[in-house]
Formats: sequence, C-alpha cells, structure tokens
Amino acid sequence: MRLRSDRFQTGWIVAAAVLFVLLWQAIVIVGNFRPFVLPPPGSVGARFVQAWTDGTMERHVPTTLSEIVLGFGAGAALGVIVGYVLARSRFAERLLSPYIVAAQATPVLAIAPLLALWFGTGLLSKVIICSLIVFFPIAVATMVGIRSVDADLLEMCRAFRARPAQVLSKVEIPGALPSILGGFRVGVTLAVIGAIVGEWAGGEQGLGVLINLARGSLFDTPLLFATLATIALIGVALYAAIALLERRLVGARG
Amino acid sequence: MNTNARIPFLATLAVAVLVVALLVVGRGGGSGPSASPSPSASSASSSASGSKSPVGSSSPSGSVALTKLSVGLGFIPSVQFAQFYLAQRAGYYRDAGLNVTFQNKIDPDLIALVGQGALDIGIADGTSIIPAVSQNIPVRYIATVYAQFPNVVYAKASSGIKTAADLRGRKLGTPGKYGSSWIMLQALLGSAGLKTSDVDIQLYPDFGQGAALQQGAVDAATGFVNNEPVQLQLSGTTATILRVDSIVPLPGNGLITSTDSLAAKHDALKGFVAATLRAENDIIADPQKGLDAAVAAVPDLGKDKATQMAILNATIETWQSDYTKVNGLGAIDRDAWTKSITFMSGLPDKPVARAVTVDELVSEELLAK
Repeated sequence: MRLRSDRFQTGWIVAAAVLFVLLWQAIVIVGNFRPFVLPPPGSVGARFVQAWTDGTMERHVPTTLSEIVLGFGAGAALGVIVGYVLARSRFAERLLSPYIVAAQATPVLAIAPLLALWFGTGLLSKVIICSLIVFFPIAVATMVGIRSVDADLLEMCRAFRARPAQVLSKVEIPGALPSILGGFRVGVTLAVIGAIVGEWAGGEQGLGVLINLARGSLFDTPLLFATLATIALIGVALYAAIALLERRLVGARG
Repeated sequence: MNTNARIPFLATLAVAVLVVALLVVGRGGGSGPSASPSPSASSASSSASGSKSPVGSSSPSGSVALTKLSVGLGFIPSVQFAQFYLAQRAGYYRDAGLNVTFQNKIDPDLIALVGQGALDIGIADGTSIIPAVSQNIPVRYIATVYAQFPNVVYAKASSGIKTAADLRGRKLGTPGKYGSSWIMLQALLGSAGLKTSDVDIQLYPDFGQGAALQQGAVDAATGFVNNEPVQLQLSGTTATILRVDSIVPLPGNGLITSTDSLAAKHDALKGFVAATLRAENDIIADPQKGLDAAVAAVPDLGKDKATQMAILNATIETWQSDYTKVNGLGAIDRDAWTKSITFMSGLPDKPVARAVTVDELVSEELLAK
C-alpha cells in the first residue's frame, strides 16, 4: 500500500514538472517571445547541459557552494546560541531584540556593498552576508522551540537536580529540535540568496557573478536561465538535505 | 485514478489554461514585449513629418500631430546627456514632429528593452552591441555619440604611470571583470604585452575605484574620461589618462534602435537623430547652452555648476574625433567597428557568440548625407 502511494506521488511530481515545461513552452509560443526575452525550455536545457560540460559551472558552482555552507554554518551556530539566550533570559530578549529585528529589517541588498567595502570582495564578506540573512529565522525558531519545551519535564529535571548541561542536552535541545530544524529549512534557502547577493556586491567567481556576466556582458539569456536553474537546484538539494536530517533526528513531520 | 487525485489535476490544468488564455487576451489587447511596432493610421500631418504613429498631440500651430518616441538614457540623469535636454528644451524634437520622453536605465537593460521594442531609442556602447547582436538581439547602432571611447585608465601624475607598460604590478581598481571597462583594459594592457594577471586588479563593484584612487588605495583605476578624471583634476590633482583609441578604436556610446523600429519609425528616428546632432553642434559652439538645458532638466545639477561645466567640456571633447571632423558628428567609423569585432572575437571570455558583420551592427541610413 505504501509503495503504491509513493509511486502515485512520484507520478504527480513528474507530471507537475512536465506540465511546468509545457506551460513555459506554451507561453513562449503564444506570447511570441524572442529568445533574448524568454528563451524556450529546450534552448535553456541545451545551454544548461553545455554550461555543465564546458567547464563554465565548474568555475562558479564551488565558490557559491562554499559561501553557502560556511555562511549557513556560522549563521546557524550563532542563531542557535542567541536564540537559546533569548529564550532563557527576558532581560537579554528586551535588550537584544530591537537590534536583532532592526538588523533583519535592513535590506541585505543595501548593506552588501558596504560589507564588500569593509571586508573585501573575497570569501569573508559573502560568508558574513549569508550568516546575517540566516541568523534571524534560526534564532527565532530556536527561541520558540526552547520556550515550548514541556515545563513539567523541566520541573522534573530540577526535582532530580539535573545539571544545566544535562537539562540542555537531554530535554531542551531534543524538545526544541523540530522547531530549530524548521528554522534551518528556512535558513538554508536564505543562505543561497545571501551568497548570490554577496557576489553581486563584488566577486570574481560564483553563480551571482555568472548571472551578471550572462546578463550584462554576454547578453546570453539562456545562460542566465541555466544559472538560475542551477541556483534553484542547489537550494532544493540543501533543503532536501535538511529535511532528511530532520527525518533522521525527529522523524517524519506532518 | 481516484476522485481525490483527479480534482487537483483538473485544478492545475485549469490554472494552466487560464494563464495561457490570459496571455492570449493580453497579447490581443496591446503590443507585448516582442511585438513589432506597427504603423498606425497615418494622418496628413504625420506624413508631413514622416512619422507613422501619431499620438494625437499637436504643435503650437495645432496642425501637426507628433510621433511619440521613448528614449532610454543612461542610469543617472547627467549633464552628459545635455544634447538631449537641449533638443527637448529648444523644441528641436517638436520641430521634427516628435513627442520625446526620456527614461533612465542601466546599459544592459537598455539594449534588451530597445531590442524588444519597449523603447524606441537607447544609448549603448559598441562593445555591448557586438555581443548583443551576436546573441541575436535585433538592435542597430544608428549614430555615434562618443566618437572617442570614453572608458580610460587614469592615475595620479605623481604615481609615475605614463604608459600602459607602467601598469605592470601596480594596483588597479575597476568595478568588475566584465563590460566595456574590462574590454578596454584588456586592449590597453595587450598593447604593452601585458595581461590582466600582470596587474593587481582590485574590484570595486560599487564604482568606488575613483575614491580608492584619491585615497591612495590603488595606483590606477578605470573610469569615464568625462567623469572620474575630471573630478580628480578638480580636486587639484593632475591626472594621467591612458586611452585605448590609438590601440583598438573601440566604438563608444551611440544611439541604438531595434530593426523593427528602424523600418516602422524610420523618418521619426531620422528626425530624432538630426535634432540631437543639431543640439550637439549648438553645445559645441556654446557649452553654456548645454549646461543651462541640463540644469533645467535636472535641477540638482545646478548645485555645482563649475563641476558640471568641466564634465560637459570633457564630454564635448569625446563627441569629436578626427573621423567626425571629416565626416560630421554622429558618423559611424566602419573600419573601427571591423577592428573591434576582430579584437573582441579573440578575447578569452568569448563575448562574441557567433561571427557578426558590421552590416549586422550598424546602420547609417538615418544620418544626413
């Protein structure tokens, strides 16, 4: 029964992808769009394959991936720590929340050039941009998760005189994990955006640079779409990795 | 297939059909992004002005319907566009039967917008037109504005940089490794047997290379001859300017239009080019006219008229070259275009996707004989 359901879902996923491509092709035909405005899926597919086989993506993808991984790692670590502090200290929340919210409300697009100016156009500025954009959702998810830990369990820990480290590792983190991992899901997709924005603010390699090249120098719209598809695939793959991790650690949700 | 499964499928299909239907209706209701400009009903007055798509507004005499033309200038309103502001202010466009509106866009967007017919005319440099046409974007370069390539490398005279060869091992600031500045830099360094790897390239994507040069963070920088070097000189520092024109005569910024507009709005475009060049000639004869028109169009420019006049004077210089002195303002140097195609086709970034000819890139039919 389960196998049949899986097959059914897979069939739907494939059908949706086919429908998307058909719809795209229909829009190109009906709208009579020229390839430099909206290229047909076939030409984007061919350019995608070419870019992956002629070394174009090889030059740019590792750069963007390393920025995402490092930026997400740093932002997630900081977000979890700050989120825990905010959850456990009302004073800290009152003190820090305005600054954290203000930082989140500031468009990263506006501060990215400044960060590039302060920290250079190398890896560091991109990691900082990714961290900044990742930090907020993970900090909030952690705070909410820690606060939602069963109060009775915490009371029991106190009754058994559990050490703070034991409370943290045995009760609080396991209890907050679903919420924290939910924050990770959001954060990892934002990290992709952060890396691209960082590369737009300056850089020699990376998929954001390739977008600029395709759009502003080569006028190669199919390459632009192929790059966007690559970015989307990276986002989907990272999201799936977090979902897999979540399934391993806390079981299937929903 | 069970009923539950059929409902979302049908819903998805319905949405798809709806989107396509809306698109069809949208296309039918007006010209879409790639729609060819179609001549509208001609009036007696439009035939007098040679225009084919009158908008119904009239001249002071009340007898001439004006042809609407949308013109895309560079990203920021500037005194560098003084000839357009003057032609508008002095009524040259109106006299040519035109109702001209300006929009400010960044260069790559301008080429695509002109190519798809969203703008009738734009400004773009030749080093962008060559790759754009090689990607089958249907645009033509119809009149030269900058007869000398405006992108230069400049340095403080005190840096000791006098030639391209002096750039070896020096710090050079540039916005990015793409675009016209990058192409110019490769040509300039190539003339001294250097590659970009022989120079310590510092990237300033926010166009901060001018400030970096002034502060001493870099030894040289790329810039526009009528902007950053002028500002440096005005701050009291003598600048050395390295031009590319004598090495590879790269085509500078000029007026572009789409192949569709060229056919459908031929006479209106011709009138626009003539009016713009007339204003250029006026400004060459009396730069103050250009500054006044620019300040009237962009009042903020009036805050520092001395700087704006210096920029305008440098701009006027770039409008003219030995070639335009013989062939007139706006003339297109085909030999220079041929050399540029050859040069760009050999660049490692491969900006030229397929072989292109000068005939595919330029059209002199709108220039006065």
